[in-house]
Amino acid sequence: MQVEKAGLYRYLTALALGIAVLLPFLAGMSFYILNVAIIMLTFILFSSAWNFLAYSGQASLGHAAFFGIGAYVSTLVARATGFSPFGTILIGGLMAAFIGLLIGLTCARLKEWFLAMVTFGFAVILQAIIASPLAATTGGWDGIGAPRLLPAGISDYLAYEYYAILAITAVSILCLHLILRSRAGLAFAAIRENEVEARASGIRPVRYKLFAFTVSSFLAGIAGALEIHHISFISPEIFHAEISFWPVIYSIFGGLGTIIGPILGTVILTIVWEGLKGFGLTFERFIIIGALLILVVIFLPRGLVSLPEEIRKWKEGRRKRGAEPGAPEEGCSRGLHPRLHLRKG
Amino acid sequence: MALDLGVLIQVLFWGLYAGCIYILLATGLNLIFGVMKIVNFAHGELLMLGAYITATVFVLSGFNPYALIPLTMFVLALVGIGIERLCFRPILGTGKLNEIFLSLGLIYIFQNGVALVWGDDRQVLNSPFQTISVPVGAIQLPLDYIIIIVVTALILIGLYVLLRRTDLGRALRATSQNRKGAMIVGIDVERMDMISFGIGSGLAAAAGTLWVVSGQVFNPYIGSLPAIKAFAIIILGGLGSIPGAIVGGLLYGIAENGAAYFLGGIWKDSISFLILIVVLIFRPTGLFGESGE
Repeated sequence: MQVEKAGLYRYLTALALGIAVLLPFLAGMSFYILNVAIIMLTFILFSSAWNFLAYSGQASLGHAAFFGIGAYVSTLVARATGFSPFGTILIGGLMAAFIGLLIGLTCARLKEWFLAMVTFGFAVILQAIIASPLAATTGGWDGIGAPRLLPAGISDYLAYEYYAILAITAVSILCLHLILRSRAGLAFAAIRENEVEARASGIRPVRYKLFAFTVSSFLAGIAGALEIHHISFISPEIFHAEISFWPVIYSIFGGLGTIIGPILGTVILTIVWEGLKGFGLTFERFIIIGALLILVVIFLPRGLVSLPEEIRKWKEGRRKRGAEPGAPEEGCSRGLHPRLHLRKG
Repeated sequence: MALDLGVLIQVLFWGLYAGCIYILLATGLNLIFGVMKIVNFAHGELLMLGAYITATVFVLSGFNPYALIPLTMFVLALVGIGIERLCFRPILGTGKLNEIFLSLGLIYIFQNGVALVWGDDRQVLNSPFQTISVPVGAIQLPLDYIIIIVVTALILIGLYVLLRRTDLGRALRATSQNRKGAMIVGIDVERMDMISFGIGSGLAAAAGTLWVVSGQVFNPYIGSLPAIKAFAIIILGGLGSIPGAIVGGLLYGIAENGAAYFLGGIWKDSISFLILIVVLIFRPTGLFGESGE
């Protein structure tokens, strides 16, 4: 069963990658679809970064801060030096990682709500700093232009941009996957489930939390820089709370604490979002997303990823109840329950 | 820079007045937190909805907007009870992160629901007392500010009497002190959840009414930041401590308006988070927080 499932996942991953690679051709180089797909890819990376942090039990509500730092630093460096954005993205990501490390130091001792508040507040403060005292370099509220990832002169530049971003996203997610499968991943889960017990078994929570924060803000910074070099414009709006909320929504929707969750959530919600736009809905889109989020939190706390399993369990439960009433539920499912520790409260 | 005493008093009064809104929000959040041990980050959306309801009824009926406070509070209390029943009760005890996520959903629904009904333009309402001001010492204070401060004080006194002098208040306090103990002595704690959420939402609604009548601009997105600041206030003032919320609210109002006046408007929002972050660096559980929380 287990092996069978692992094989299935491998096929599905290969299939998804195949579709992603062929997408520009399937879409007939459609400008609209490629644009949506590129933004989607950057948000897949962004959500995966957020989710990686949440995996260690730290739910940030201000990840736009790191998204924005990466984007601003990369833009400013690229403008000042004329380097290719491919190089400056890395500088942006490193800067975001460094700031993330500092914020992580502040947050390492904080619990859920407090951490959410500090990260949220940090994004607000950063917006003020970028917009006002640094206005001379950053252009203030008016924003500044950012160099494109690839010069728009090349034919099919959008497709090349898409492939570049796809490659970066895929490699980053592979790295996250490898980290989560290593001992560090186990340590994150242990800290998330019970920090005191984790410490008792020799794990140093602060060290791992900082590691998670640094990696997460690095990738968030990369994602921000990629998005901005695609849009070729940046303003302090990038620190807006909504930018912080999207990765949260995507990750919860897809499945918190899984690698596939943020990807699935981003893809499905982007399609829903664009589809609703096609119907001419504006405010209703947000209402629908909000309602979906609430429904998922209440009824499917492990996200869409767990849907097949939930259905199977529900069917089994019904069959069992039919056979012998009052039979106990089957034990907890395989793997780590992302919110198991929360059930104790 | 020579400090003008008159200006200082003016800033202080702005702060007091802004503080009133924070106090009402923070007290409500604190009451809910005390009883249910949850935080509704969408609390500010109730303020926003209260503002719109007040504005609409005022425009339709022409009543004095201050007289609409009880009505708005009642309507929003019902909305709050609905939220508690439909959204928060199912996830009670499943963890703090779920509350944050659920609140996000609520924020989206409320903001855009209101935008759908009333549009998302910025609106302003003119209070009937707009032109009247009262001389206090050397300066002129708008009558509205004084009424707002008095109304807030009255609401807080009412809340105090309710919590201290009635059986319901005793039951609410008992539930917030020890939920299991309260159950053992026969208090229906789920009813207390509902009531505390209702009262908390009503307080937010009063804040919304005061927001509108003071002539502040309102749109569907005004609520989020005050609510998050209110939460920052109760972190600083101690989770579950209502006096802490009052003192914290006043301090925040004054600090913010001081910062806006002396440093520039853009720092108004940042200063409150700066205070929060600095405090949390040194005291990770808040100024008066218990270490166990």
